Parts: sequence; structure tokens; C-alpha cells
Amino acid sequence: MSVENRQVKLKIENINKTYQVKKSYFTAVKNVSLEVYKNEFLVILGPGLCGKTVLLNMIAGIEQPTNGKVYLDGEKIRGTHKSIGMVFQKLGLLPWKTVMENTEIGPKLAGVKKSERQKKAKNFLDMVGLTGFEKSYPHQLSGGMKQRVGIARAYTNNPDILILDEPFGQLDAQTRYSMQDEILRIWQMQKKTIIFVTNNIEEAIYLGDRIILLGKCPAEIKKIYDISLSRPRNVMDSGFLELRKMISSNMDLAV
Amino acid sequence: MEKIKKRFISEIFYSILSLSSIILLILGWMYLASKRPELFPSPQETWDRLILFLEKPIRRIPLYSHVLDSLRRVGIAVLLACGFGIVLGTALGWSRLVKSTFGTIFELIRPIPPIAWVPLLTIWFGIGEFPKVLLVFIGTFAIVVVNTAAGVKMVEPLSLAVGKIFQANEFQMLKEIVLPASLPAIFAGIRTALGVGWAIVLAAEMLGAVSGTGFLITKGMSIGDTALIFICMFIIGIIGALLSVLASFIERRICPWKTDR
Repeated sequence: MSVENRQVKLKIENINKTYQVKKSYFTAVKNVSLEVYKNEFLVILGPGLCGKTVLLNMIAGIEQPTNGKVYLDGEKIRGTHKSIGMVFQKLGLLPWKTVMENTEIGPKLAGVKKSERQKKAKNFLDMVGLTGFEKSYPHQLSGGMKQRVGIARAYTNNPDILILDEPFGQLDAQTRYSMQDEILRIWQMQKKTIIFVTNNIEEAIYLGDRIILLGKCPAEIKKIYDISLSRPRNVMDSGFLELRKMISSNMDLAV
Repeated sequence: MEKIKKRFISEIFYSILSLSSIILLILGWMYLASKRPELFPSPQETWDRLILFLEKPIRRIPLYSHVLDSLRRVGIAVLLACGFGIVLGTALGWSRLVKSTFGTIFELIRPIPPIAWVPLLTIWFGIGEFPKVLLVFIGTFAIVVVNTAAGVKMVEPLSLAVGKIFQANEFQMLKEIVLPASLPAIFAGIRTALGVGWAIVLAAEMLGAVSGTGFLITKGMSIGDTALIFICMFIIGIIGALLSVLASFIERRICPWKTDR
């Protein structure tokens, strides 16, 4: 995406989260401000346990920030919003619902007619390659397939912004690579603003238009990188490797 | 091949073991019956008494009717306990307001054993059908409430977050997320309630009734008919086990995603 075409979709202003643990305070996110551009693939990269999930939950409205504001298309929002979807790190598929029932839950809760919402859900299930698994229960699926249901579910609700919280963190390396290509393919088919969180540098450079590098706990923005490599990217490319070297020298690899 | 053969042999060994323990029990029974016939009816006598009972009903009520009377009392009471108990349990587990309002009262009444209600219920309602059903209801209602509330409280925060991100309202949250997530806990409660209800109905019938399994066993006591008591005890055990199987069956039908049991 060229710099001139950038249009701010989501703006986070001075967001903080402090928890009270017995008598002491614990700050998970400290003064984070950032802008997310329309239809960009933004990667938030940070070491484990650095408050990334808390930051995302606040953007998605699942948790309330201690202070700070979130603006969507210039308007301040509070709580969850139908334009912001989320794919959870720990999946969050509902075990008592079939793949179809899990996928259609967004429009169902919004009161969309059954035939209509199932058509939408089917469309995205086909897109992620789960044709024929509509009647299966989550426990019958492999890890990669479960994560695909999570992605289809988020897309079926048709949000403008999709937040993915370390979605491939629990997959084996092989599945992880194919899922990375999959998510890029879907993003190119259905343009949406994506906020993708990871702790993996290679994954970040492979996917992102921009990378926001977070420091260790509490989460604080350390640096922002524009990735101008053309897609499809090659992890053995010299430009790729150079970026990788540069970012790792700035990353606290503390876990 | 060798392994399969070994497995097969050990299977036979364990089957023989469990069979022989049953045989041993019956042999012990026969031994006791031969030593103290006035206290222990022999297996043969017990069987003959059963046949006699089937041919000549007690109080003109056939055996199966006695059993059905007891089952009907438990059934009605447990059904009511589930209906009210699931509602109150959900409310207690979900709403701070309900918990503060009714939680304490409930916690005070709950520990009173059902049997302790018998004198009051008898004074208030006599010994008809209603006080019996009410007694079973009192004993099983609390079990359903406690299990439901625990299930509702233990719903995964992640599942609630899913409801939130898709903008579920309060009612949708309960219907789509909280209640299905609590179903296994609710069913554990219903299973316990059936077992406890079966025990309470016997107690209620032993204290005053004109039909039912509990009545039969007291009747056996009053006329010194140990064979009749034995028959009743067998039937009570078998019905109790069947109730448990029935509850598991219904649970599997209603919660098909639970495959681990």
C-alpha cells in the first residue's frame, strides 16, 4: 500500500491497562498509541507475556482500558463493535455447536434468517477448505481445521477489522506455513483491515504491510517498520533476511 | 499375534474372577441361610416368595404397580425439581442481584436433611401423595440448584468473550453460551437427584404409605417376612442402577459433543 493512500481506520490513543493484584499494581499495557490504516495487514510483534492479548482485548472491546480511547472511523467506541471481529489464540470454538453452528453464530445473534446466514457461513467454510465438515463437532477436527473454523466464523460476521491473536501459535510448523499462505490468500480475496499478532519474526515479515514492534512487559511500542517487499515473499530472499536481522536486533527475546 | 492371544487369556481370567465373586456371594448366602434360617431366607425361598407375590398381590396391588407408584412419585418430584432448580440455579450463578437476594436463605435451608422435614410435612399435609412428592422435591431441588449454579459459574471466560465479540445480549448469552456450557454439570446434578430421590421416596413410604416399594419393605418387617424384604432390596438396587443408566443415556442424547464418557 502506497503511503499516500493511507486512510486511518482505527486509532488507539494512549491506552493503558493496570490490574490490581492484592495490594500491588501490575501494568500490562502502557501508553500505547497507534493508527491502523484501512485494508492494511498490520502485524504486532512482541515477545511472549508482554501484554499483547490484553492490548487486543481492549481494541476489540472485550476488556475495558484503565484509560485511553479507541476510535473507529473517527468515532469513539466503547465495548465490542460489530465491525471488529476476532480470531482467538485459544480458538474459542463452542464445543456444543457443530462447525456450521459455530460459523454462523455472528449473523445468528444479529437476527439474520437461517437460510441466509447458513449460505454466508457455507461460503466462508468453502473458502477455508472445510467443505463437508459442516456437521462435525470441534473435537473431531485437527488443530489447523479448528483454527480455520475460527477464521471462517470471524469472516461470516463480515467485520471491517479482523484481529488475529497469535492464531497459528499452537500449530505445527508445516500447518503453520500453509495457514500463513491461506490467510494471505483470503485477505487478498476479501480486503479487510487485519491486525495480526505474533511472537514470530519470520511470520511477521512474511505477512505484514507494517510491523509494530512491542517491548517487554508492560507492552509499549518500540519501533514501527514498513515492509515494502513484494508478495509472495520468499523467506530466503536477501531483503527478507536483512529485515529479519534488523528486527531481531531490536527485539527483546525475553520469554 | 502372541500379544492378542495374551490379551484374550487375560480377558477370560478377569471374567472368571468377577463371575466367581458372584458365585462366592451366593454360596455365602446359602451357608448363612442354612445356619440361621429364621434370619436369612435361602435363595430358593426368596425365589418362591417372588413367584407367590406375583401370583397373589399384597393389598391387591401387583408388584409392578408398587414399583411404579414409587417411580411415579420420584419422577414427578425430580421433574419439578429440575424445572425450578435449573431456573433458580442459573439465576444464582449468573446474577449477582439474585445471589445476594436469595443466596443466603438458600444456603441456610439447604443443609437441613430431607428426613427432618417429615414431621412437619405430616402435620401439615397428612400421609397422602402430595407430602411424599413434596419431600422428594425438597431433597432433590437443592441438588439441581447447586449443580446448575456451579456449572454456570464455571463457564469458560473465553466462551463468554466469544459471545461478547459477536454482541450477544443477555438472553442470547444465556441461551447460546451459558446454558449449553453448563449442561454437563446440570446433568451430573440430575443424575445425583435421581439417586437421592429414589432413596428419599423409600424413606417417605416407609414412614406411612399404602403402596410403593418402601411400603412393601416395612410390611415385610412388620410380619417378619425376610424373603419379602430381600426381594424389595434387590428391586430397589436394580431400579437405582437403571435410573443411573437412564440418566447417562439421556445425557448422551442431549450432549452429543461429550464423547469422553
